Amino acid sequence: MLALHRKSLHTTGKILLNIPMMMLILIPLLYTLSVSLMPTDEIYKNVLIPSSINLANYRNAFTNPNYHFIRFIFNSFIVSVSVMLGQMLTCSLAAFAFSFLEFKGKKVLFILILSTMMVPGETTIIANYLTVSSLGWLDSYWVLIAPYLCSAMGIFLLRQFHLTFAKELHEASRLDGCANWQFLLWVVIPLSRPALGALGAYVFLNTWNQYLWPLLVTNSTTYRTVQIGISMLYDVDAEGMGLMMAGVIIVIVPSLTVFIFMQKQLINGLMAGAVKG
Amino acid sequence: MKKLISMILAVTILLGTAGLAAATEEPIQITFWHSMGGVNGEAITQMAADFNQSHDDIQVTVEYQGDYDDAINKIKSAGMSQIPCDVFQLYDIGTRFMIDSGWTLSMQDFIDAEGYNISQIEPNIAAYYTVDGTLYSMPFNSSTPILYYNKDAFTAAGLDPETPPTNFDEIIEMSKALTITDESGSVTQYGIGMGNYGWFFEQWIGKMGKHYVDNNNGRGTEPATKVVFDENGAAYDILSVWDTLISDGLMPYLGTGTSDALAAFIAGDVTITLGSTASLKMLLNNIGDDFELGTGYFPYINADDEGGVSIGGGSLWILDSGDTAREQAAWEFIKYMISPEEQAYWNAQTGYFPITVATQDVESFQENLAHYPQFGTAIDQLHDSAPEYAGALLSVFPEARALVQQYTEKLINGEMDVQTTVDKLATEINKAIEIYNLTNE
Repeated sequence: MLALHRKSLHTTGKILLNIPMMMLILIPLLYTLSVSLMPTDEIYKNVLIPSSINLANYRNAFTNPNYHFIRFIFNSFIVSVSVMLGQMLTCSLAAFAFSFLEFKGKKVLFILILSTMMVPGETTIIANYLTVSSLGWLDSYWVLIAPYLCSAMGIFLLRQFHLTFAKELHEASRLDGCANWQFLLWVVIPLSRPALGALGAYVFLNTWNQYLWPLLVTNSTTYRTVQIGISMLYDVDAEGMGLMMAGVIIVIVPSLTVFIFMQKQLINGLMAGAVKG
Repeated sequence: MKKLISMILAVTILLGTAGLAAATEEPIQITFWHSMGGVNGEAITQMAADFNQSHDDIQVTVEYQGDYDDAINKIKSAGMSQIPCDVFQLYDIGTRFMIDSGWTLSMQDFIDAEGYNISQIEPNIAAYYTVDGTLYSMPFNSSTPILYYNKDAFTAAGLDPETPPTNFDEIIEMSKALTITDESGSVTQYGIGMGNYGWFFEQWIGKMGKHYVDNNNGRGTEPATKVVFDENGAAYDILSVWDTLISDGLMPYLGTGTSDALAAFIAGDVTITLGSTASLKMLLNNIGDDFELGTGYFPYINADDEGGVSIGGGSLWILDSGDTAREQAAWEFIKYMISPEEQAYWNAQTGYFPITVATQDVESFQENLAHYPQFGTAIDQLHDSAPEYAGALLSVFPEARALVQQYTEKLINGEMDVQTTVDKLATEINKAIEIYNLTNE
């Protein structure tokens, strides 16, 4: 009885502590939503809650032929999903090699891959641009996807996870006549679902939020992604705050949805392998 | 007879093929990169669509390339291989970089080749983009800074609502009268409230009639090698004003750029502010009936300053594609974009200046002016200026502007005094100029 009482007290305390924290984090988001729904004349009047709901900004973002928002969302989906699936595949393969196989130079190679994580993306962006431009890839889906099909971070994450599996698992399957690819497909990948889910969500969000690379390598609206769509709504000399906030809300809804569905995996996955590795 | 028939036949065949050739000739495709978002982007797209409608032989594809900073970075990267555009819009402060890059053709070449009458373009606007008598790019979206004030608050404070301040001595005096404090001692209404914006710093130097950099303000045959605002006292005077306003509690700090200052002005928290003429429409839309908006000339720092404003905004560049037909098509497009009718439309949609003199005779422009009489201030102010105050050209202007804002902030935070700020600012910008000049020799 006492234990139960203490437990519920503990929960209440936690909730009381969490609500202010949640509000602190959510307020900018809620205010964005509120501004996007405000009648234009209320935006600068220190109003928190709109007096009436104004959907004109959303209508404008979707129907105005200048903004192509549906196209941008479609493009971002294609690119983010492709990059996500690509990384899940390539990183699984590499991580498998680094965790279960023995070969010469394995350590050195792994450290080499890890060291690429230290190089900030901005420093290689021009070199990458010149490469893709000389390959004639500019202005295509391929140029948005290809450079991101593998990542050191993904390999590292999955390798750490694979290391938590008992080595005997691999040996036993070998004895049963299971080829490496079969072992990977039927044993390792199903077992690494939490880590793969986390990687997938992480990669999806990162790709979704990219701005500089898509801006640099695409020119036409056909291949532009959502983040560029948002900046199209803004002009330094002609601020349309309502429209811009509506754009922000439209763009975060898909990424928020992905996060909500995958958050359990995201948190479990990122933690897994952190203690034993 | 046979001869006649064969001749007729030959002629019809010839005519037929000629007609066929004319019909199948593809229009010249050119690409226009711009940096206009929001309603401005909508207007520019509309103008290009109208151009395509009225020109069968040229088709312009309009592509948005992020804001000016994004666009200049993009063209810097693209310039290393091939730039896939024919007409490029860029901000005023990218002018020196574009000239030095060698990627562009000067507008002057097209003007001279065609005998285009250059006096159609507002001389004080063209002056900015003219170096050594050569007009490099075509002004397109031009604006000047002006002073905005709240007439109702002026009346309430016992000031004349028809007399805006002209210099900072007056602004400081008026701000004292305009400041309202509640019982608890906190200020509910300020007088002046302006954004920390590098563009204003440049404008104040111009309003003093002084130079920002050496080599004829960066407009000589050689590019600038160092700043001179530290030696001629301009920066000291400007930063002293900032120091006084903040330390005397006459002005709240409203961040870099002008967004927050304009928002505070609309909300009535501050009653005098500075902004671009291009913001006028946005201000009027948001203020509504809350108070009457007044406009005045961009203020002098000192009462005895003599100088004028220069323009900001952007211009259109023609890129050297090596394809004469495309370059000529780009020139046709630019001529269309600056034609009086299009400029009147552009002005009404965006609040940018009409850059062609004849626009002032266009009926829709006059209607717009009657509707927004405040815009008259901007026109008078530009006409009262002179080409000699066209402002500096500097290859590293984007960095310099960021540094000006950064050091103004350090001064406001009390990290250093005015003289130290001026010295450090000059050193930092000089360093940037030196590195640029060394790597681009």
